Amino acid sequence: MSTATAASPLRRDFQHWADPTHPDDRPFIRKYIFSTDHKVIGSQFLILSVFFLFVGGALAMMMRWQLGFPGQAMPGGGVLADTQAAQGILLPEFYNALVTMHGTIMIFFAIMPLLVGVFGNWLIPLQVGASDMAFPRLNMLSFWSAVPAGLIMLSTFFVTGGAAAAGWTAYAPLSAVPEYSGVYWGQKLWCISLVILGFSSLMGAVNYITTIVNMRAPGMTWMRLPLPIWALLTTSVLILLAIPVLAGALILLLFDQLIGTTFFLPETGGQPLLWQHLFWYFGHPEVYILILPAFGIVSEVLANGSRKPVFGYTFMVAAIGAIAFLGWIVWGHHMFQSGMNPMLGASFMVTTMLIAVPTAIKVFNWLGTLWRGDLHFHVPMLNALAFVSTFVVGGLSGVFMASTPVDIYIHDTYFIVAHIHYVLFGGSLFAIFAGVTFWFPKFFGRMMNSTLGYIHFAMTYVFFNLTFFPMHNLGLGGMMRRLYDPNQYEFLQPLQPMNTFITISAFLLGVGQLVFLGNFVWSIFRGKKAPPNPWRANTLEWTLPSPPPHGNFQSMPVVHRGPYEYSAPGAPDDFWPQDAAPGEPSQPRHEPAEALS
Amino acid sequence: MADETTIERKHPRYFLIWFYLLVLTVAEVMVAFVSHLPDAVAIIVLLILAVWKAALVAMYYMHLKFEPPRLVVMVLAALPLAILLTLIVLQEGF
Amino acid sequence: MPGTGPMEGMRVYNMKLGMWVFLLSEVMFFSGLIGSYIVLRFASPEQWAEPNVVLNVPLTGLNTFILICSSVTMVKAFAAIEHGDQAGLKKWLVGTILLGSTFLSIQVYEYIKLIHEGFVPMAARYAAEGGPLYGSTFYTMTGFHGTHVTIGVLCLIFTAIKAFRGKYSKDNYAGVEVIGLYWHFVDLVWIILFTIVYLI
Repeated sequence: MSTATAASPLRRDFQHWADPTHPDDRPFIRKYIFSTDHKVIGSQFLILSVFFLFVGGALAMMMRWQLGFPGQAMPGGGVLADTQAAQGILLPEFYNALVTMHGTIMIFFAIMPLLVGVFGNWLIPLQVGASDMAFPRLNMLSFWSAVPAGLIMLSTFFVTGGAAAAGWTAYAPLSAVPEYSGVYWGQKLWCISLVILGFSSLMGAVNYITTIVNMRAPGMTWMRLPLPIWALLTTSVLILLAIPVLAGALILLLFDQLIGTTFFLPETGGQPLLWQHLFWYFGHPEVYILILPAFGIVSEVLANGSRKPVFGYTFMVAAIGAIAFLGWIVWGHHMFQSGMNPMLGASFMVTTMLIAVPTAIKVFNWLGTLWRGDLHFHVPMLNALAFVSTFVVGGLSGVFMASTPVDIYIHDTYFIVAHIHYVLFGGSLFAIFAGVTFWFPKFFGRMMNSTLGYIHFAMTYVFFNLTFFPMHNLGLGGMMRRLYDPNQYEFLQPLQPMNTFITISAFLLGVGQLVFLGNFVWSIFRGKKAPPNPWRANTLEWTLPSPPPHGNFQSMPVVHRGPYEYSAPGAPDDFWPQDAAPGEPSQPRHEPAEALS
Repeated sequence: MADETTIERKHPRYFLIWFYLLVLTVAEVMVAFVSHLPDAVAIIVLLILAVWKAALVAMYYMHLKFEPPRLVVMVLAALPLAILLTLIVLQEGF
Repeated sequence: MPGTGPMEGMRVYNMKLGMWVFLLSEVMFFSGLIGSYIVLRFASPEQWAEPNVVLNVPLTGLNTFILICSSVTMVKAFAAIEHGDQAGLKKWLVGTILLGSTFLSIQVYEYIKLIHEGFVPMAARYAAEGGPLYGSTFYTMTGFHGTHVTIGVLCLIFTAIKAFRGKYSKDNYAGVEVIGLYWHFVDLVWIILFTIVYLI
């Protein structure tokens, strides 16, 4: 059954609600392969991203072997080509490709699709009360254009000259001139792959913005939106306005590589710094794209696990906006060592320091959410708590880097690598673990095994810190980034034991992720059947069966309150769904609410 | 969702706007070739004329003048970013 | 309250909102290219020639006029179907397609002439007045604009086919309106590009 909006005779903007009397007779290929259903597309993004997460992880393991056990043959190194390794020992050129592809794949093909593709698709229509996205077919195109982008990126390992090797930041002229990097097709295909991926993200952003703005159910005012939605809306705006600049830059780079233009080549008037400005104008909003949805997920999980409203909801929303806004005017802090005008550098230092303020507000509000809450340490909650602790460390190291004079010393060292991984792994990835373990029951209809969840959490938290914290010390000791052989420098030789220690921790960290993967795959097929609302949560998706039917709701839901009415005074239960009738607290709807594990 | 329930929107005079655009284009070409303005001034005048033409297309052909104000705000909000990008990149040239 | 619609939102229907949102991303795309052009030109002004020395300003001025006319025909097509005028819709859509195609043809003709004269994008073979950056930036900016025009013409053909099959009406004209928005945007970008590339 579809409803035209009451006020519109123009037959637009129908929503096709779930119809239990009508069997879902879509063929398998339309249901699961070329599906326009946002829930399926979200799960497809999940499979794509987890695959690339492990590819990126494997690349990192190879790098760590070289740094931890230099000069020793890597186990399995025999399968590598002669251009990649000699008797199992990685070659420097291949190491450069590993560094580049680890960063590229993790950022563009793992974290972005996970945070934006998975959670955007899973959560937006359900949490705003819609039957699907505004443009379901565009959504399908968004996923299916990410796939060839990923395949092209992977193919670069197998072309002559190997994969791109100019760093994920691809500075010109190294990236523009094959003679400098030794990479011919790899770098060009890298550009093409990212342009296609950018197109995929852009289509997603258009869809998300339209859906959130225009398709909220009656009663779902802006200030009753769950924080993941606020975060995803803001992230989509960042994607919308930043990705096109990257696309332009990549195209100019591609032309330099392919056609013989010289946009970035100084010999004929090109400007290498132009690349840096274009790239970081995109690059800085990009890192907020990589963290804002994580903020939203963490807020949701912490409130649920504390049985308390998010502390300071209004300021949480304002902080998201402030971070997004300020994120446009800090990019120069990536270029402090480029020879830029010091006055300009100083302005970027100020704006960068400023952005710590709304971020800190969020951290304190998370603490305020937890404070004196009825804490339930379920697996999502532990991952969300891990996020808060490790993200804060990453944020604090950021303050050091924001200071231009300090950055002179630590730029391009492992101090930066430590920062990146504390915010992207300690931050984004822990939030992803929290989000996946939280919403897995809703979308796959089964519970994940909580024992394995606790083991994964513990291994990840311990080995993550053991792997990445010492990198602060390496960086302060002078070890540069992207460095194949630190032992060529006498002053770095004493750091070798620390590198070996990190490598061993990294291997154990990797093993821990196999626990997650195993749990995930096993639970999809053999997990305990999930009730509609295993976490006793308030947002609209938990009012539906697990998984929700095609079309989600049987009719447009009506919202009566905000999403964080946990432990509302006078209510008989400690949660109060957004659509429960006004004046009445939660009622059993499908099954009695189950106790949290 | 409330949207245009009626098609009785005010209609701009499309050909009149076309005529204005024509006049402004001719003015631009004249400024570029016939006028004796110094370069810097000519550039500023040309940019003003171009933006004026763009605004006419946006307001009347794209109907922004008749759309809900919130849509106009959304569109205008993106412009400072575009200008920022252009200006910051510009300072490298000095 | 069953029967009521979603929250007000932007107060325009989804496809229109979606198209405007998309156009904002296009603004950023062209701003990146234009910004790059400006910095490259400021840093190496000697690589540019005076207007009308290499590029044919009168011809392109005419072409600009043609594109503006196509915007008029486009908006007339939209106005027609708003009132249910099927014949008007078809007539003005065809007119827009013809004018858009003419714009593209003149551009292609200009490109071929310029390439013959040694005005090319690649630095190594540049043989016209000024320097290679002039050629590289010219072809990149006008080329991407031209690509957007081509996509627009193809979408317009698709729209016209639907119009001839009677798929649009007084109550169902969203497709015409949103392709119209795209087309006007393409015209708007050209207004800026023409000024910057040809007149300055």
